[in-house]
Amino acid sequence: MRIAFAGNPNSGKTTMYNALTGRNEKIGNWGGVTVGSKEFQLKKEFAGDKEVIAVDLPGAYSMSPFTPEEGITSEYVRTANPDAIVNIVDATNLSRSLFFTTQLLELGIPVVVALNKTDINEKEGTKIDVNKLSAKLNCPVFETVSTENKGLAEMIAKAISLAGTTQKAPYLQADIDLHDKNAVDAEDRKRYSFVNGIVNEVETRKTLSAETTSADKVDGILTNPIAGILVFAVVMWGVFWVSQAWLGPLVADWLVGWIETFQGWVAGQLENSPAILSALLADGIVGGVGAVVGFLPLVMVMYFLIALLEDCGYMARVSAVMDPIFKRVGLSGKSVIPVVIGTGCGIPAIMACRTIRDKRERRATSMLTTFIPCGAKIPVIALFAGAFFNGAGWVSTLSYFLGLVLIFLGALLIKGITGYKYRKSFFIMELPKWKAPSLKFAFKSMMERAKAYIIKAATIILVCNTVVQIMQTFNWHFQVVEEGAENTSILASIASPFAILLIPLGFGVWQLAAAAITGFIAKENVVGTLAVVYALTSFIDTEELAMTGGASTVAATMGLTSVTALAYLFFNLYTPPCFAAIGAMNSEMKSRGWLWGAIGLQLGTGYTIAFLINQLGTLFTEGHFAAGFVPGLIAEACMVAALILISKRVRAHFDEQYELHKASKAAKAAT
Amino acid sequence: MELAYALNKNTACAETRNDSCHAAGNKTLLDAEPGQTYIIKEINTDDDDMNSFLFRLGCYQGEPITLISKKKKSCIVVIKDGRYNLDQMLSEAIII
Repeated sequence: MRIAFAGNPNSGKTTMYNALTGRNEKIGNWGGVTVGSKEFQLKKEFAGDKEVIAVDLPGAYSMSPFTPEEGITSEYVRTANPDAIVNIVDATNLSRSLFFTTQLLELGIPVVVALNKTDINEKEGTKIDVNKLSAKLNCPVFETVSTENKGLAEMIAKAISLAGTTQKAPYLQADIDLHDKNAVDAEDRKRYSFVNGIVNEVETRKTLSAETTSADKVDGILTNPIAGILVFAVVMWGVFWVSQAWLGPLVADWLVGWIETFQGWVAGQLENSPAILSALLADGIVGGVGAVVGFLPLVMVMYFLIALLEDCGYMARVSAVMDPIFKRVGLSGKSVIPVVIGTGCGIPAIMACRTIRDKRERRATSMLTTFIPCGAKIPVIALFAGAFFNGAGWVSTLSYFLGLVLIFLGALLIKGITGYKYRKSFFIMELPKWKAPSLKFAFKSMMERAKAYIIKAATIILVCNTVVQIMQTFNWHFQVVEEGAENTSILASIASPFAILLIPLGFGVWQLAAAAITGFIAKENVVGTLAVVYALTSFIDTEELAMTGGASTVAATMGLTSVTALAYLFFNLYTPPCFAAIGAMNSEMKSRGWLWGAIGLQLGTGYTIAFLINQLGTLFTEGHFAAGFVPGLIAEACMVAALILISKRVRAHFDEQYELHKASKAAKAAT
Repeated sequence: MELAYALNKNTACAETRNDSCHAAGNKTLLDAEPGQTYIIKEINTDDDDMNSFLFRLGCYQGEPITLISKKKKSCIVVIKDGRYNLDQMLSEAIII
């Protein structure tokens, strides 16, 4: 038996779904957090001995989709024939929600209304006569609070008992020609007046929603173009500082101590085994994976703080205040949400682009959002900040800031190439009511992500490290590479051709090329591979390194100056993200051209940034350009030429389309 | 060349439309006073999907709309029982 959860955006569907199934799907206090359908079995305590699948759907205002994610919902309830529908209604906005409710009631599938967020209504003194509403709608209505598990058991039990019956609609749309816009409009109007009639009868409000409250004053500041952006900058800086410069490293130091002890223990156990086995297990697996896991606390603290931000209702305000700026470069205020989510992981960020209505804006956002360093890139940043810059906080700040700048520049570039200059792009964002962020939810979300991180480290990264270790240990004849002949290893011979391309960037050695390549599988691999190829595993403990001078050992082993180290770091940050994120981009863009454009843009950006930093940095510190300046310049010229070519083709295509459009118009006028 | 011309013409149309609106004495949300509630006279976004989306939020002819605050490029309004942030272009399209 399947029960679908449908309702307006931000009515609390996913929170209810999580409570009923025990899942940990992403929640947040703004409309459009859920962008795809998800299903899972109900917990035993709710389903009894029946097998009941709950289906969580993206929020929708009505059966006629406006943004792509709304389409998923209307398509599902229309075609997938769920056995019952739980319609989650935001009790604080009954007048809007019931429009969709009356549409759902027409489908014939039994509907149970969950009047959610009733705790807020109690606080505000709004009363809804549940019995009367139930009679008017001709379906059961339950008061619920999903954040506190209130009323859920009774509600879902009713839905299960109704499954298979048919729903009688309290309001039926007249038989009209659905292609006739005026007739549809008139019908919708009638439906709304039916809804307004119900609301007038069942709802009494103590405070009118149109009254200006203290929350409105806060919103006034947060959406002020100057103060609002300043607040946003401070908030984000605070998140990065706490997670990457203060609390995160504090916990990481402690964790790393344990990992090293464990590594020592493993090495001790393997003392009498063959050297290869010991190298593979102690250095390759434990060392490489340990290097990645050591950064887990930084990532966890970050996830915790971001979850708090998402839960309180701030994201909608950020989106509103950033809209004018983002619009100027051809994106939308809604592009901010993927960017903030992208600090955690690029894949949900790219999926969050679905809430952007304009196709071009949507594609451009999913193309650019991964310029913001994700959680997997934190280890890379922390490693380089520690080994080359004394753990300086500015490295991380600069990484995020530059990422944001690149998003703006990239957006301008896309705007220039696609040639849309004058276009209408409307922005409307519901500002949800503020709520105290739940520490419990933030903790759960943090643990969920930590689990995913550890699983990733124990699977993909472990395998990659092992493969790298093996490829480095053996040559093509499967003989162990002798000391001093490391360049004959399988890994070296594969990575060397790529390394040549990287000479103008200042890091044209096969070890670094190999690490950058494994980074496409998962960005944490950059750290893992560096640990393996340089047999340096203790570099994660940055503070201790700084004291013992170990950081300079790392720096010396890698043969990088601080300039080339920065170039290498940025190269890894701004080249294409991992394959999984590229896959997500592919499914959101639904266009080969855009996907290849995105990969090309990201490769070009990473290369250009590294090239500029290396060459200009070397010029500044040593008074001359670094090696490979001219070949690098040629590569840059090729990129510019490619850009111009693509731009010309896109514009020609655009003109062509426009001409066709004009021709058909002329034809119409003639007839 | 032709393209640029056509687009320019488009924006010119938009401007004249606004002028004619003002000439007819029509006020948009941009002319509204914060804290006041108005009745929507017309929604004119030139975009059917957008119009019907606004409709589904309860923002349509004959319905009340309250302006909470106004910025240079955006404003916050109350429609039904929800608060929304609208950009300039959308505020201009709502005639009150």
